[in-house]
Amino acid sequence: MITALFVKPEGLAVDSMSVSPKTYVSARHVRLKDDYLARVFRGEEFLLFDGAMGTQLQAHGLKAGALPELLCITDPQVVTSIHSLYVQAGSQVVSTNTFGANAYKLGDKACVEDIFTAAVSCAKASGARYVAADIGPTGALLQPMGTMSFDEAYELFAQQVRAATRAGADMFIIETMADLLETKAAILAAKEQSDLPIFATMTFGEDGRTFLGTTPQVAATTLSALGADCIGANCSLGPADIAPLVEQMLPYANCPVMVQANAGLPHVENGATVYSVLPREYCEAVAHMVDAGVTVVGGCCGTSPEYISELRDILAQRTPRKWAYEKDLKKVFNKDDDPEGEGAPDLPRLVRSDFCVTSAQELVSLPMGFVGVIGERINPTGKKRMKEALRSGNYDFIMQEAINQTAAGAQILDVNAGLPEIDEKTSLVRMVTELQGIATCPLQIDSATPEALEAAIRLYPGKPIINSTNAKTEVLNTVVPLAKHYGCALVGLTIDENGIPQTAQERFAIAQKIVAATDAAQIPRQDIVIDCLAMAASTDQRAPHEILKAISLVKNGLSGVRTVLGVSNISFGLPYRELLNATFLSAAFAAGLDLAIINPLSQRYMDVVSSWRALSGEDAMSSSYIEIYAPREAREKAAAAQGVTGSALKENPQGTVSAGSDSSARETAGTPQDAAGLLRDYILTGRKDPVSQVVKTLLQDHDPLDIVNSMLIPALDTVGERFEKGVFFLPQLMASAEAAKAGFETIRENTTQSVSAAKGKFVLAVVQGDVHDIGKNIVKMLLENYGYEVIDLGRDVAPQTVVDAVIKHQAKLAGLSALMTTTIPAMEQTIALLHKEVPECKVVVGGAVLNPEYAAMVGADYYAKDASETVRIAAQVL
Amino acid sequence: MSEQYHIPNISRESVLKYLGYMGQSITAELESCLDEQAQKCCEIAVPRGVTRLFTLVSNNGNRVALKDCDLVFESKSIAQHVKGAKSVGLLAVTLGAGIDRELKQLGYTSPLNQIVFDACATVLAEEAANAAEASLVAQGAAQSLFPNWRFSPGYGDFDITVQQRFLQVLDAPRSIGLTASVSSLLIPTKSVTALLGFFETPQPTRVSLCSECGCYDYCTIRKTGRTCRG
Repeated sequence: MITALFVKPEGLAVDSMSVSPKTYVSARHVRLKDDYLARVFRGEEFLLFDGAMGTQLQAHGLKAGALPELLCITDPQVVTSIHSLYVQAGSQVVSTNTFGANAYKLGDKACVEDIFTAAVSCAKASGARYVAADIGPTGALLQPMGTMSFDEAYELFAQQVRAATRAGADMFIIETMADLLETKAAILAAKEQSDLPIFATMTFGEDGRTFLGTTPQVAATTLSALGADCIGANCSLGPADIAPLVEQMLPYANCPVMVQANAGLPHVENGATVYSVLPREYCEAVAHMVDAGVTVVGGCCGTSPEYISELRDILAQRTPRKWAYEKDLKKVFNKDDDPEGEGAPDLPRLVRSDFCVTSAQELVSLPMGFVGVIGERINPTGKKRMKEALRSGNYDFIMQEAINQTAAGAQILDVNAGLPEIDEKTSLVRMVTELQGIATCPLQIDSATPEALEAAIRLYPGKPIINSTNAKTEVLNTVVPLAKHYGCALVGLTIDENGIPQTAQERFAIAQKIVAATDAAQIPRQDIVIDCLAMAASTDQRAPHEILKAISLVKNGLSGVRTVLGVSNISFGLPYRELLNATFLSAAFAAGLDLAIINPLSQRYMDVVSSWRALSGEDAMSSSYIEIYAPREAREKAAAAQGVTGSALKENPQGTVSAGSDSSARETAGTPQDAAGLLRDYILTGRKDPVSQVVKTLLQDHDPLDIVNSMLIPALDTVGERFEKGVFFLPQLMASAEAAKAGFETIRENTTQSVSAAKGKFVLAVVQGDVHDIGKNIVKMLLENYGYEVIDLGRDVAPQTVVDAVIKHQAKLAGLSALMTTTIPAMEQTIALLHKEVPECKVVVGGAVLNPEYAAMVGADYYAKDASETVRIAAQVL
Repeated sequence: MSEQYHIPNISRESVLKYLGYMGQSITAELESCLDEQAQKCCEIAVPRGVTRLFTLVSNNGNRVALKDCDLVFESKSIAQHVKGAKSVGLLAVTLGAGIDRELKQLGYTSPLNQIVFDACATVLAEEAANAAEASLVAQGAAQSLFPNWRFSPGYGDFDITVQQRFLQVLDAPRSIGLTASVSSLLIPTKSVTALLGFFETPQPTRVSLCSECGCYDYCTIRKTGRTCRG
């Protein structure tokens, strides 16, 4: 957002930045039990964990589905005896029997505190050098896929962390994680509620991803940035299958890497579960991983003390490989150059010095010299529909922008909710949460309000970019610690207490000040991105030159640091801005720009990006370039041969081209009467693609309201009747609704006049605890087509949220949906609260488990058996 | 044991049935929508299942206990379903979180595609359950036991609130990534849990021919020249 506001230097958003005087998070101090452990974290020593607990307890008769953690209290001798066998086999660390000891899983069977106290004491009784408090997943999926909130998960972990710390554990082992966000919650809980070191491992399937789609690279990048002291992989696979995944983690882990593989795959033999990989074979596979740079090892399901004692022998024959950033390799060699004269040190494991950011599913990793595209469109500044979406809380448009930008080639999406009249923190958090389910791109979280920034980066599943800090002391002191604590990349704007300086040299000086602060906070240089701020060439023609010069000063003078630029300000006040922006973008790339904040839907900008990548060598053998542009050239030649001019070629950002208007639209070239007939026909047959063109034709000599009231609505009525009579089935109803919607959209885009009939507001929600939203979406679409303003609260919505929305929007009708018998009570509560707090608002309910009697029983005013009926009820009430 | 299933395609007929199709005319557009969503569904889904056969210890008509199993089924419907059984087979399957993510995205881009994709995923989840059932049936056959059919939580008096404990018995959260929410929703949503009884004698069947059986494509018994009915 900042870049767009900097057209006039005096109107700085930064001046209104509400900087809290307190430091948000203090630097972390890690309490290490002894110096050996310190050497482990420097990569100078190996560390040997234990093997399986669960499968060992099953061998002792633990029943399926029973909570193994209870044995710490009911049968501590058994637990201690397993720990002791591991210690005898050589384990330096034993992990407490607390994998599932969280309040969600334990329920009323035991309290977390008691289990951890007992478990740590069982572990200590084994005489192990270190006791690791074991923390597994909560057992529930987090929002937006599941219903558990980040804060609930955090609190479950925090309880475990506090209990373990009080009980005297030496470290945490957060393990078998499948959800990156849940892992983040656990690591933050450990960092914020304790000073003990953190080991964190995730578990991957044969497809190389966790159940929730996280790759080893994403896990390594995110977890090490978050400050886990050792990261790695465990469970699911045997050592030979896990090895390639661990090798993918190694180049992205700026800390020791650990592995705890299963003893292969389990199968049943004579009624007993046995594992396929024997100790010798297991350890050979682990040895390869140790040679590749793994320094912390142990076992998972199916392993036993026998495996551990073989692992001990493997480690005894080897020396650990330290790690070093690629760019520092030379330095490391010099420093480590063997003062004792005992031979050359082993080659360190290389850690990439790329600029890296992640989402839960994707890593964007840019080596120096590569360029990246940040999509700028999720930002209300100067965008009417984005403002509307943020104000109404109807995020369809925003999600659509995310999907479109990603399809067009954006690698990162900037997300900004800075509108003075809305609660920025709430909106930013909601957007970041919703986007997780939609876009796989990493996000750049853009806010001038530290509170909003922190709330959003805290529950962002991955390593985001913070946009931004500047060089004002107060801002630096607030935002830099946030970036460090939450493991984020950070944009630094070249602004200080005196505003934006004119010259490149002054901007460089500000960048130096920012980088001094991030160096002091020990944020890696490659995570810092300096924005030299594009200023309008129309007001100062020296500006472009100074910006370009500033970029190259930063790139040359601050080793490892990257640069970013919102390009479009350069053309402010001049015509045909896209041209100037594209030219400036090329120049900026040449000057060393790494990340461009642009509209990726502009073909011209993406052409610059693709062609620059070919020219700079990033696009090896220009293969991507050829893939996009060879067919394009062929198409243009073919079109030229057919006499279609280049400008008639419509091209979408993916590079596919359609010549002129499509055939169905050509049919509309005739009279408006024909067009009206065609429109009706398209809606009745559910063909949305040609609708826009025919509506445009109609708009030439029809009043927009006339098209709505005498064409679109009657067609929809017919569709409704046909659905009612069974002439249409559901997909036909929906296809027609989508076709009609395309018509409404075209009218909206092409007229200034308000065409919404403003029939009334309708608050719509899937009740708390339920995540099935298909029925709700059908209802929404139909209601919107009929001109109702739908306030869609989404799914899993708390009763109070529904009430608040009804009050805020003064809605006269609320629709609630539930699909499960177990969520009917939540529906009943919501209705009761609505009737109490806003008795004038009527409630209509629907969903698979409801019928008229049931609806009356839960207190609803109306029951709708399907979406068409909801529309009729709305017409009656509103 | 946890397994992954390869299910290459989705029955158009079943999808249409699920969508309430009663012989209406289908346009070419709708036709291709059905094909596209079904194909995408197969590509995104990672059908995984976990199964386990337990020896039945006691069944007093209200309460069913299994050997080495911490969960006791307090349900007349279950007691009836496994009356006379030697063993009880439990299964849980899921198509994975990718399907939920796609459903969510389609909710924003095209409600039409969303309902069609949802129907495809429902059919595919049933297929995964068939595959898991076939796996259990094969385990039963190895012990000369004969299956009846799947019975899922939420039917009869088999209360749906059992889901979380049911999944724990199968270690499903860890082994296939399937969890239950506080409100007993299976998440990822396109998932099935069920149990079957296993008996010493062949049970009455709901299908007369192997080719009508849902497990047909996944059956390993037929290849040995026998059937699960003997």
